[in-house]
Amino acid sequence: MLTSLFMITVSGILFWMAALTLWWMLHAWRTPETLAGTGFGPADGVCGLSFSLLVPARHEQEVLERTVERLLESGHTAYEILVIVGHDDPQTAEVALRMADRAPERVRVVTDTHEVKNKPKALNTALPYCRGEVVGVFDAEDQVHPDLLAHVDHAFRASGAAVVQGGVQLINFHSSWYSLRNCLEYFFWFRSRLHLHARKGFIPLGGNTVFVRTEVLRAAGGWDQDCLAEDCDLGVRLSSGGAKVVVAYDSAMVTREETPGTLYSLLKQRTRWNQGFLQVYRKKEWRRLPSLRQRLLARWTLTTPFLQAFSGVVIPIDLLLALSVKLPVSVALFSFVPAVPALATIAFEAVALHDFGVQYDLRVRPVHYLKLIAGGPLYQVVLAGAALRAVWREHRGQRGWELTRHVGAHLG
Amino acid sequence: MTALLDTAARPPITPPEVRPPLLKRSVRRLGPDGWSALAVTLAVLAVQAWNIAGFPAVSDDEGTYLAQAWAVQHHRGLAPYTYWYDHPPLGWVQLAVLSGLPELLASPEHVLTAELRIAMLPVTAASALLLHLLARRTGLPRWAAALAVLLFGLSPLAVGLQRELFLDNFAVLWILAAFALAASPRKHLWHHVAAGVCAGVAVLSKETAAVLLPALMLLLWQHCDRSTRKFSLVGFGSALALVALGYPMYAALKGELIPGPGHVSLLGGLLFQLQRAGSGSVLTPGSGSRRVLDSWLYYDRVLITGGLAAALALLGSRRLRAPALAVLLLAAVVLRPGAGYLPAMYVIQALPFLALALAGAAHHGARLVLHAVPRVGLRPLRWAVLALAAVLAAGWTVPRWYAGDRTALTVNANAQYDATARWIRAELPDPAHTRITVDDALWLDLVRDGFVPGSGVIWFYKVDLDPAVAATLPLGWRSLDYIVSTPALRQDPNDLPTVRAALAHSAVVASFGDTQADRIEIRRIVKDAAQ
Repeated sequence: MLTSLFMITVSGILFWMAALTLWWMLHAWRTPETLAGTGFGPADGVCGLSFSLLVPARHEQEVLERTVERLLESGHTAYEILVIVGHDDPQTAEVALRMADRAPERVRVVTDTHEVKNKPKALNTALPYCRGEVVGVFDAEDQVHPDLLAHVDHAFRASGAAVVQGGVQLINFHSSWYSLRNCLEYFFWFRSRLHLHARKGFIPLGGNTVFVRTEVLRAAGGWDQDCLAEDCDLGVRLSSGGAKVVVAYDSAMVTREETPGTLYSLLKQRTRWNQGFLQVYRKKEWRRLPSLRQRLLARWTLTTPFLQAFSGVVIPIDLLLALSVKLPVSVALFSFVPAVPALATIAFEAVALHDFGVQYDLRVRPVHYLKLIAGGPLYQVVLAGAALRAVWREHRGQRGWELTRHVGAHLG
Repeated sequence: MTALLDTAARPPITPPEVRPPLLKRSVRRLGPDGWSALAVTLAVLAVQAWNIAGFPAVSDDEGTYLAQAWAVQHHRGLAPYTYWYDHPPLGWVQLAVLSGLPELLASPEHVLTAELRIAMLPVTAASALLLHLLARRTGLPRWAAALAVLLFGLSPLAVGLQRELFLDNFAVLWILAAFALAASPRKHLWHHVAAGVCAGVAVLSKETAAVLLPALMLLLWQHCDRSTRKFSLVGFGSALALVALGYPMYAALKGELIPGPGHVSLLGGLLFQLQRAGSGSVLTPGSGSRRVLDSWLYYDRVLITGGLAAALALLGSRRLRAPALAVLLLAAVVLRPGAGYLPAMYVIQALPFLALALAGAAHHGARLVLHAVPRVGLRPLRWAVLALAAVLAAGWTVPRWYAGDRTALTVNANAQYDATARWIRAELPDPAHTRITVDDALWLDLVRDGFVPGSGVIWFYKVDLDPAVAATLPLGWRSLDYIVSTPALRQDPNDLPTVRAALAHSAVVASFGDTQADRIEIRRIVKDAAQ
């Protein structure tokens, strides 16, 4: 009886967790109107705002030049690029200075002299130097579309928003089994889930292709230097304060990135994010949100990595128990209920992979679908590992910045 | 002057916004569509509810499903005897939920199985409302949608079959819900997922609903937007598959998926249904299937022939192609060469689509008459032609339907059963220690009277066919005290030796009915007779 009650409770909770996650994951495809609303409106060609684009670079001399060159191809007329390099990183600094020489009216170099370095410190260092009305952030390996600024400009003016978040997309799905899943995660996040957050008024922003009105950013005091997910934190602080955020995704104009090169670096990156989410959760800025629903969404979102890890590990155990322990048939049947949204999620992931291939003109082969399905449980284990690791590190007070190395696999 | 100022300072006499009371608001919210649907549904309900327990005669199958619902209600598994996967169980699980209430209201006037038919009224009502919604969503004007509901619910064939406790009526409800959701004008992903869930429930209510799935998928395809179609189709498909998978999952958990010694199995049940002795082709005069078809046509020719013809014509209309396809799929299954067993209730699933097709054809016909060749005016003539066509159609249909529906509203076809149930209640003194074998239609009555369900009051064919029941009868027919001989029981006693022996070694103590064919006899087993 007790086992039955336990199984029913666990299965019920797992079902709702999986179903709710799926519901949100598919937000953009709910209706054709929702999907149409996730893109940029047609740009009007007016350059109404001026931009300061921040590019923090750390030991990224291999990719920085290409990134800045690509930014310089932008069709917008009023923007500047501030490359931020560390005082202890002469190689990257050399590339940055060379770029500044090549386009002195566009590119400036800001040197970050903090003893212990991280991305928010670098961004804060550059913030006082920004002359534009809007600050945009890009990573050193980002491939930015030349029309992006014009569209962002229009989005700001058309919506009156304080923040515009553009799409970021990992592209190299063919590199390995986990990069396939990693790419899809980004696809669901930027293509779909973030739009829901923007609509509900609570949004953890992405790390780049994010644009904030300079005065809003300065009033908020810039980025939190001690937070491992400064991007998420900024979004939570701004949206909790009532700032209007617009998300726009257009496959032609997303910022293309690459997945971490090894499974271990993926684990490290994910640990950092999870730890950052934990920190943001504990800062309790989200409590300023006016409605209970928003606060619940915030609570849920910021603890998602842990819930996900939990459900990813518990669902198989649940099913195993259902098969091995002698239970009443109805209870055993009920314990399979969480498998319903879980299996539906796999089906939707396969459709999304197809859609991803169509949108980015990439050839998705049958073997990739196989990898997607077979890699699912394994990826859950990695995610669960990263979640546990994050909790452990946060508990031990290890809050150092584990940087992800980039080799340029997405530069084709 | 001061007085004037005072008035100006006062709050306005009427508050700025007066909210109408709740009733008025909901009335307004219902809109003309809601009113039209409600009105025709109420008309259908009125006809179907009147004399529901009197006509048609209770069938053995109704008793079976009701007994199985009783077993679900009383936590005795999915059937009072071993559940052998003859049909998926969701139909009588729903019946179990619905029959709780009328059981409290049931009067002892009629046999309980017939009394509990009240449980089908909400099902019919919901189906009628959904059909109206579906008709509107497939582009029919309000009058045609209302016509579809009236055709669906007032045809004498429908009045008879929809009153009965058949699984097909539940399947119709869910498949109509699936169709209406698939045609949702918002094209919402979750409506399409819900359509998949409903279709799954429909198939698990009555497996033959699966025949309609291609038509449902066509409708879904037509109503999806290009940009979200992939997601909608996969959402629909996975919902349908995952709900339907629950059934084999249940069997697997019980270790009854695959046939084996000493237990029933899903696969075994499925094979039985597929290999069930065919009732011949409907094209062969005199075959069982032909007799079933003739009985349908006896009750209503209009809906069947008119609906079929309309469906053929509507294949050319994009918006009504899916319901037309539904009709033709169902017809194709009946007409296919080497057709198997054709049950009488098979037509139930076709009724809403036949009605929709006929109403759709009427709509198209009316539009053709009114708007074809617009350069030729002739408005009065067009309206006259239309009125004449309507009068002719009504003149052909209404007298037949009136006669059929009047029978349904007045005749008590269950008098023998009612009398039998009353006699047993009055004359058998010790039900708890009396063993009696009856057909399924009487079973629940006797359970209510205090006979021990399963081994005290026994479905007659279980005496010979269920080893678990035979084990409780160590002396064979001598272990029984009474046998109630009904037409259903006398149908094929040759396969049932114990039942035949019980009939042979028993004496009539009461008998009801005039003709030999539909007589019900209560017979006491004569135990000391020589073998």
